[in-house]
Amino acid sequence: MSSTAGEDITVGTGHISCDLHSSTVVFSKLSSSYPLKLLSPRVAEHGVAIVYVMSYGGGLVGGDCMQLIVEVGKECKLLLLSQGSTKVFKTRAGNRASTRFRRSSSQPTPSSPSLQAVTTQSMEVTIAPDSALFLLPDPVTCFRSASYTQVQTFHLAGSASIVLLDWITSGRRSMGEDWDFLRYYSVNEVFIEGRRVARDVLLLDNSSLDTQTASESCSSNHTSRAPLRMLKDRLAPYSCYAMLLLYGPRTHDVVTDLQAKYRTISIFKRAAPERFLWSLTPVDDGKGAVVRAAGVDTEDVKNWFREALRGLEVVVGIDEYRKVFL
Amino acid sequence: MDTDFDETYILLLLADSNLPTGSFVASSGFESYGTHGFLSISSASSAGKGRATITGTVDFIQDSLHTYARSALPFVSDAYRIVDAFKDLKGKPEIEHDTTIKKLLELDELYETMTLNHVAKRASKAQGVALLTLYAKGFACPSGLGDEDHLSKSLAILIDRLKLMVRGEETHGHLPVCWGVLTGALGISLLRAQHLFLFLHARSLLSSAVRLNTIGPYSSQQLLLHSVRPLVEAEVSQNKDIRTGIFVDMHHNDADNRPATTWPLGEILAVRHDLQHSRIFNS
Repeated sequence: MSSTAGEDITVGTGHISCDLHSSTVVFSKLSSSYPLKLLSPRVAEHGVAIVYVMSYGGGLVGGDCMQLIVEVGKECKLLLLSQGSTKVFKTRAGNRASTRFRRSSSQPTPSSPSLQAVTTQSMEVTIAPDSALFLLPDPVTCFRSASYTQVQTFHLAGSASIVLLDWITSGRRSMGEDWDFLRYYSVNEVFIEGRRVARDVLLLDNSSLDTQTASESCSSNHTSRAPLRMLKDRLAPYSCYAMLLLYGPRTHDVVTDLQAKYRTISIFKRAAPERFLWSLTPVDDGKGAVVRAAGVDTEDVKNWFREALRGLEVVVGIDEYRKVFL
Repeated sequence: MDTDFDETYILLLLADSNLPTGSFVASSGFESYGTHGFLSISSASSAGKGRATITGTVDFIQDSLHTYARSALPFVSDAYRIVDAFKDLKGKPEIEHDTTIKKLLELDELYETMTLNHVAKRASKAQGVALLTLYAKGFACPSGLGDEDHLSKSLAILIDRLKLMVRGEETHGHLPVCWGVLTGALGISLLRAQHLFLFLHARSLLSSAVRLNTIGPYSSQQLLLHSVRPLVEAEVSQNKDIRTGIFVDMHHNDADNRPATTWPLGEILAVRHDLQHSRIFNS
């Protein structure tokens, strides 16, 4: 993958490191460089800390590259939240020195340049024994023609816990955007004591030009070929998709609740899809779980998650949990 | 040597719908898709319900192929290459067996951790071990024939060992990995193996559709020849060079050419298969 000097520049980097000092979480590191901004409010609950991860301007521009390192110390419970949906604006090549490029896999055509300025966010997290991370941001919204890559890697000690929410909306409905971004690529990888237990990779790609070029080169009868489906066709009728991963002792009660709820569902033949859907699947022989959800309205998905994770109130505190899913 | 005829002969065997792999119990989420009401929402048609379900079926196949090609085909390709490399060593001492097995296990484990879908994994494991058994009991050179060469013997031992590890629950035996192993051992070209993998997936979906009565048997053949063929070819073309990256550069997570899920809706519906009040398929 080609890139400019962006790899080595410290633009958009952040470092969070916390430890427990007699039931109070203390940050030995809480630093960031523009355009990344970190904010930690005072928290009443013992052993719990909150950090808001934001970007100046409230959004990310094509080519922005943000790197965050997080170290959750022993017995700490850290909530990583955002303030508002992460907005990703369209690619604008060559604006910043740190601009990252990606060579498009398709042949360059007049309408699609061979280099796309990609917005990249990466997070590398270490979670110590008996500690927990709750990554519960607002969803990502990629605007028309935006290209976004997100890589999140989590290294957990054996007794650590994680609740990780990764979700995306279809764009600005007021502007008629309906899954009109160029590309969304998100990787979430979880290791327990060095062993990989889950690797979720979601690629939502609108460069259907690739498929078109390939189809035209084959000799079959073109008139009977099915129309090529766009991203919006594949994701309809939902405008919000979410993935929630739970693992570790602090998540057991929530997972048990979810399993009980799930078991009560029985589907009879429907004429049309429901407005909200969710699925539950075990991970690593049942030591963890993954929830996937989709909703016609993002608000419905948010409300569902708020209730589904209500069990976290006893883990992080009622006032602290109230700050999530605002 | 007429290698074209050899390869064609093997392809004919592998494309047999009577191949004992148990794929007929798997609808790959299609039954769930229909039950959840998704068949009727696609491309409105004035020609009535029949036309709509045919269109809906093709839409499902297109979306399913798109994500399956991107997520599973790289595992077929890498497993194939591992067996190919093993063959190049002419099956010499036991060390080659061990390293080959070790690599296949890593690949298998990666597929397990990347397929966060217990229904799909269930189906994948059942069909995977069936393929290994098929090689052991069907395709491997029978020992009585006498003209079994050293390489064939070595491959048979390798696959038998893998099969035993699956039965002993030391590894999962996922379908894409086993398919790569099987086709690598049989010696058809990688491209043929990739194409057949996706073709069989599409054909299985159409068979499921016929059994679910969403399309008729003639429609199924018509779709397979005219609508589905370019879809399969397009997906092979797009994904044939994608690798899992497991032996090279996994840390370059944002690299372009890695396996990925491209259809989250398909994942949700596939997992929800077991929630259907009544169902005729296992997945």
